Amino acid sequence: MSDRALQDAVIRALADAPYRASPEWRGRGLADPEQVERYARFLARHFYYERIVGFFKYSRALARVTARWPEAVLKSPSFDALLPTLVLGSRDSARAVAGLVTHYVSSSQPPIPYLSDLLRYEAAMMVAEAGARIWREEGEGSREKDYPATVEGTVLLTLEYDLPAVLPELLKPWTEPPTAPRRATTLLVARSPHGRVAVARGNQAVAAVVELADGKRTLDQLATRAGLDRAAVEETLLGLVDLGAVRFSTGS
Amino acid sequence: MSDISVGAFYNPHLGAELARAEGIDHLAMADPPANGDPWFPQIRERYTLLLHDYLGQLSEPLDERSVQRARSLAQLYRSPWVAEHFQCLHTEDGVYSLNYVFPPLYTEEFLERFIRNARALKARLDQPLVMENIPGFFDVKASQLPEPVWLRRFFEATDVGFLLDLPHVWLEAHYHDRAPERWLAEFPLEHVVELHVAGIEQDADLGGPWIAPAEPSPAMLDFMAHAVSRCPAAKAVTFDAFSPSLTGDVLLRSVERIRRAL
Repeated sequence: MSDRALQDAVIRALADAPYRASPEWRGRGLADPEQVERYARFLARHFYYERIVGFFKYSRALARVTARWPEAVLKSPSFDALLPTLVLGSRDSARAVAGLVTHYVSSSQPPIPYLSDLLRYEAAMMVAEAGARIWREEGEGSREKDYPATVEGTVLLTLEYDLPAVLPELLKPWTEPPTAPRRATTLLVARSPHGRVAVARGNQAVAAVVELADGKRTLDQLATRAGLDRAAVEETLLGLVDLGAVRFSTGS
Repeated sequence: MSDISVGAFYNPHLGAELARAEGIDHLAMADPPANGDPWFPQIRERYTLLLHDYLGQLSEPLDERSVQRARSLAQLYRSPWVAEHFQCLHTEDGVYSLNYVFPPLYTEEFLERFIRNARALKARLDQPLVMENIPGFFDVKASQLPEPVWLRRFFEATDVGFLLDLPHVWLEAHYHDRAPERWLAEFPLEHVVELHVAGIEQDADLGGPWIAPAEPSPAMLDFMAHAVSRCPAAKAVTFDAFSPSLTGDVLLRSVERIRRAL
C-alpha cells in the first residue's frame, strides 16, 4: 500500500465514525484509538459548526427573538448521541444534524410566521452541500450534450412565504423581525461538482426539467414530456447546468 | 522598535472596525471577499493583504483552475507572498474531507510529492510561496521522519519560505511532553518569512489545549518573542484568528500586545 493510500485510510478514520469502529481500521494499528477518537470528535464539531453557522445564518440572525442560536445543538446530548454514526460530508449525516438544528430552533415557537419555511430552506442548503466533490479537474470531461440528468441532491422547495424577499433584510440591522410576503414560492437548491451551493427561483419549466431529466431522455423527449417547446427547455437547461442542478451524461 | 509587520486576519463581520482600526499593518485573507462586502474596498486600499486561502493540497498537483484562482487572488490582494499549508485533508477520490488542516504522513513519498507540487505551483506564481506547518494531535506509525527534518529537507529542495505557526509548535510540544523552545529549535527557522500567533483554550473533546479565537497568553507572547529572535528573515507576525465568534476587542488587543512583545 502506498503512503498516499495510508493517508486516505487515516483521513477516512477521522471522517467516518462507523469505519473508525471497524475491525478493518482497528486492525491496522496505525494510531492510538483513544487519541484518534478524541480528534475525530473535535473535527466533527468543527465541521458542523462551520456548516451550521453558514447555512443557518438567517435563523442565527433571528436568535435575538427566538433565543435559539443554531450552533448550540453542537453542545447538546442529541449531537453527542449522533457522533458514533456521523460520516463527515455524507448527505445522511448532514440531514441528521440539520434535523437537530431545525427541531431546536423551531421549539421556541417564536412569532415568526415564515420560520418553518426558513428552516426548511436552510436545512435543504446544508443537505445539498453534502456529498463527494471534485477537488481537482482531470481532463475536459464528456462533450456529449444529449442526455440531461438532475444531479443528486438537487431539491425543489415549495414554500408558503416569499423567502428571497426577506432574506437580505434579516442580515441588516433591525428592531422588529422583518416580515415576508405570504406568497407561494418555489426555490431550486443545487450544488456544483466543486461544492458551491446555489439557489434560484423555480418556475414550471424548471420543475419539469428537474423532475424529468433522468439521464436517459434526450432534450427533445424532455420537451415533449414536459409539454414545452424545445427552445424553452434548452434555455432552462443552460441555467440549471450553470447552477449545478443538471449535468449531461452520455446516456445508457 | 521592531520593523516587523504586525497584523491579523480579515474577519468580514469585523469589517467596519478593521476599516477604521489603528495599529494594524497587514491583514491575511482566509477567504475571498464576499460579493457586496461593503468594507472590502476600503480594507484593500488601506492594508497590505496576504493571500492565505485554501488553494489546494500539495500532496497532489494543483489543477489549472486552482492555479488561476491563486494568481487572480494574489493580484486582487497585491499580496507580497502566497501561503499554503503542509496539509493532506481529503482523500484522493474526494469522498472524505476533514475540512480542517491535517498534516501528511512525514515520509519520503510525501516529501517527494510536496517538493514536486510546490515547485510547480511556485513556478506559476508571480509572488514567493510560503508554506505553513500543521500540528498533529496524534502520531501515525507510518511516518518515517521527524517533522522538523521533513520540513528542512522540503525548504532546502524548493527555496520556498516558511510560515511558522507557533501555536502549532507549542501544541505539539505540549502533547509530546517536550519543552516548546527545545522543540522549536529543531525547525528550519532560517527559512521563516512570517509567524502566526494565536490564543489557546481547553477543548473538551481533546481533553487538553487547542487553538482558539482568543487572545494569546503572556507565555505565548514570550514564546513568540523568543522565536522571532531566532528567525533572521522574518518579515511579519500575524494574529491567527478567523471565526464568526471573534470580537473586535480581542483582535485589536491581541495585535497591540503582539506589537508590544516584539
